[in-house]
Parts: sequence; C-alpha cells; structure tokens
Amino acid sequence: MNRLFRFTRQLPGEYPLLSILIAFQVVFLMLPTLIVLVVSFQAGDLVRFPPDDFSLQWYAQIPGEDRFISAFYRSIAVALFCTLLAIPIGILTGLGLIRYDIRFEKPLQIYFLLPFTVPLVVSGVILLIILGELGYIGSLWTVGLALTIINIPFMIWSVTSRVNALDPELENAAKNLGADEIQTFINVTLPSLMPGVITGSLIMFVLGLNEFIVSLIITTPDIVTLPVLIYTAIRSNISPLIAAIASVYVFVAFAAVLVADRLVGLEQFLKS
Amino acid sequence: MADKVSQRFERAAWRVEDALIAAKELLPKGLYRSPPPWMGYIFILPGLLLVSFLFVGMFILGFYSFLTHDPFEFIIYEFTLENWERLLGTTGYYNIFVRTIFMALLITAISVVLALPYAYLTIRVRSSLVRKLLLVSLFVPFFTGVIVRAYGWLIILGRNGLVNSFLGLFGIEPVRFIGTQLGVVIGLLQIMIPFAIIMIAPAIQNIDRSLERAASNLGANRVSTFRHIIIPLSLPGIAGATIVVFTITSATYAIPALIGGGQVDFVANLIYRTLFDIANWPLAATFSITLVLVSSIVVLFVFQVIGTGTLGVDTGENDE
Repeated sequence: MNRLFRFTRQLPGEYPLLSILIAFQVVFLMLPTLIVLVVSFQAGDLVRFPPDDFSLQWYAQIPGEDRFISAFYRSIAVALFCTLLAIPIGILTGLGLIRYDIRFEKPLQIYFLLPFTVPLVVSGVILLIILGELGYIGSLWTVGLALTIINIPFMIWSVTSRVNALDPELENAAKNLGADEIQTFINVTLPSLMPGVITGSLIMFVLGLNEFIVSLIITTPDIVTLPVLIYTAIRSNISPLIAAIASVYVFVAFAAVLVADRLVGLEQFLKS
Repeated sequence: MADKVSQRFERAAWRVEDALIAAKELLPKGLYRSPPPWMGYIFILPGLLLVSFLFVGMFILGFYSFLTHDPFEFIIYEFTLENWERLLGTTGYYNIFVRTIFMALLITAISVVLALPYAYLTIRVRSSLVRKLLLVSLFVPFFTGVIVRAYGWLIILGRNGLVNSFLGLFGIEPVRFIGTQLGVVIGLLQIMIPFAIIMIAPAIQNIDRSLERAASNLGANRVSTFRHIIIPLSLPGIAGATIVVFTITSATYAIPALIGGGQVDFVANLIYRTLFDIANWPLAATFSITLVLVSSIVVLFVFQVIGTGTLGVDTGENDE
C-alpha cells in the first residue's frame, strides 16, 4: 500500500490514480450514446467497424418514414402534456406542503415519493388495470397522464427547494407596499419559484420524451411513442436507419444538458 | 413592431391579472387575507389525487392477485389462491425472482463503488474544464434514455460489434456478450452509475474540506483519508444511492429484453410476458405485488442499517 502511495505521488496531476479510473468511466458512460451517432453517419447498410465510409444517406431517408415521424410527434405531445400538467400541480403541492401547517406531513412526503418507490413496471401494470377497467386504453392523453404520475416527484422536489429558499418576508413587504394578493403571487412568489419550475420542467420533458416501459405496457399499436417504436424496430434488425432516428435523442440529450447548464448550472443538480 | 407586440402582450397580462383580482374579490375576505390552515390541504389535493392512482392501484393489484384467470372469459371475479400457489410452486418463476434480486444487489454494489470516486472527483477537482467534462458525461447518458443506450450496447457488444472488431485485430475469437449475464451487467451498470453519482454527490458536497486537510496534516494519505473521512461522511448518499439503484434495477425491463435476448429475464420481463403473451392479468398482478414486497424489504433493511439518507425530502424545518 505504501509503495503504491509513493508511486502515485510521482504521477502528474492532482489525483492521478483516481483520474485514470474516472477516465475509463467517462468512456464507459459516453460510449453507447456516441456510438449511435457514429453508426448513423455510416454509409453501408451493414453496421461494421471501422465504418467504410461516411454519408448522410440515412438521415435523408427519415422524412419518408411516416411511422417514426408520427411516433415522434406523439412523444413530443405526451412530454408536453405531462410537463404542462405537472407545473401547476408541483407549485401547489410545494406551497401547500411547506407554507401550511399540515398534519401527517411526514407520511405525506413518503406518499408523494410513491411514484419513485413503486417500480415502473408495476406502475405500468396498475395503470393498465385502472385504465382498462375505465375503458380508456388506446387514447394518447392516458400516456401523458401516466407520465405525469410517474415523474411528478421531480417537479415537486425542485419546486419545494425553491419554496424553502423564498423568504416569506419578501411577500409581506410587497403586501405592505400595497400589492394585492394576486399581484404579490404573480410578481413576487412565481418569479422566485421559476428556477425550480424550469429545472423540474426540463427533467419532466426529457424523461417524458424518453419514457419506455410504462408506455410499452399502456400504448396500443396506433398510439405508440417513439421509444416503444425504436424498441420494436431494433428487435428485428439494427439498421443504421434506426441509428439515424435514435440520434434525435442524442441531440436532445446534449441540448438538454446545455440548456440546464446555462439556466441553472449543472452543479446545482448535484446539491441536495 | 416588436415594441407594439410586447405592449399588447403586457396589456393582455394586465387584463388577466385584473380579472384574477376581480375573481378573488368574490371570495370571502378571510380566505386570502389570512388563509385558514385547511387551504394547505386544498393546495396539495391535485397532487394527492394524481399519486392516488398508484396508492389505490396497489390495493387493486392485491385484489387482482386473488382473482381467477380464464383463457376465454379473461378474468372471473371469483377469489382463488391459485396465482399465489403458482408463484410459490413454480421453479421457473422462483429462479427469475432470485436472479433479479441477486443481479440487482451485484449491480447496486458495483455502481456505488464506482460512483463514489466519480462524485468525489467531480466535486473536488480544481479544473473547471474537467468538472464540466465529468458533469456532461454524467448527464448526457442520463438524458439519452434507456432504449437508445441499449441500442448503443447492441452495436458495441454484438457479434460484429465494436469490441469484437477490436479483438479481431489481435486475432482473438469473438466473445459472446448478447444473451449473457455479463452483457446485461455491463448494460445495466452504464444506466445505474449516473443515478448512484447523483444520489452520492450531495453528501460529498456537504463534507467540510477542512476535515480532509486535517487528516492529511495528521499524516493520513489519500487512501486512508478516503476510507476514514469520505466514506463514513457520505453514508447518507450511499444509502440513497443503494435504494434508488436497487429499486430501479430490480424492476428493469429493456436491458434484459434487448441485451439479454430472452436468456437473462428479470421479473419485469416475466410480468410483461404474463400480461401480453398469456394475458393472465391476475398472475401478473401477483408477480407485481411480490416484486414490490421484495424490494420494500431490501429498502427497509437499508433504512434500518444506514438511515433515509439523501432520499428524505428536506422541508426546511429541520433547523427549528
């Protein structure tokens, strides 16, 4: 052990051994995402390494793939639906839980974490049974509702942290200066909750766009979302065309990370 | 032009605000001047209803697990213990449950071990460029979605994939990853490590740096500082990571289905097949309830041993 320690001191950098381990992890984490991009630019129709040639031919074929394009629109629709539904619910729950004296607060917090503790596949079975009994299976809005249910803790979480950070005296000051309750809410309360709402919305939208297992269980063939369709497609073959379609998600992921970094800073996500 | 549009928008916003104020005036004054305590319950009502789908759903699942399946009638509302007997009496089902728990524990352990140094370096590294790189490689996979990453692994681990093409350069025979436990473990680790890092990082963030300096002033090297300072103080984060990673892994579907190719089925794959291949909803409900029970037992065990950790919602009332 001592010899190892002496050896590491001779290596350059702040944390030499640690850095080597982490470098491997970075490659491990990024490789599956990046390889999809590489394959999507490949010329031949067989996936091989190293690729013979690069071309954009697979991207050129996307406009003709009606099934994938309509699935993409449906995914956007359900992701928007769940985000827009989650915003008011998240704000109200955050304000209610923290600003008001509520009995059974601890059990309620556990209750609101239920979507995280119930395994996703089980949530899928539950929603299939409930929606099935009600006769709603096969409508797209049920998928949006399902996404809201399973991801709502993200919104509550990020709004709650902002409610905690907001000093009630600020609102009292606004009221003392003659602002009406509604004016106070719109001009003081909402703006200070905004960072939390934006973070929550970003997470809910991107996760909604990507959601797979619950959608797989509760969608019927004519309302499949993009991840479900990609899943069915790669079970039969792994043509570079699918890679070109899937690369949409890689671009969305990079865009989401960029937006999150600009708006709140990625470091914020690692704070409790 | 743009000025006019924004002016018009502003006027519309004023009008909405006035309408809201007018609507508010119709309510009894006490309601908004000094909101009564029960307003809080009204505020959380929509959220309560939303989550009630799952809360009520758990009871419905329990109810369904005692119903009778019939190939022609689909479900008969007659109580039976048949589903539970089938679950307990079939070795095939039992094996899938054992495999799921075992693999989930294995992946939880490896993820936590790999996530700790990653989270530590991300928070402590001086170069902001390196920190950015680490954060990006953490969040890009997180936002890419399971299916796309599983597809990436199929390309990497396939028979003519990246890894085997590379091995081929040295004349090494192709290694089979698809349809093996090793392939599934690789795929699952890549999905779970980001979750573990996100859960552990806040705990490391809260560690006072001067503790580490004190340890090193007292002659401790990096390894023993890590062992005696960092690991014990990040236990809350480790608890959170263990719970999150175990719960998600034990319910995972996509990776065993795609990389496992039907050879390494998890409980989720069993549930899906029971739902759609043999359309036996009562039996699927029985599997689901059992999955929830088993993972709750593990979670409660972790709570007992290390506490709720970073999972507990901070209501800001702890400092009172």
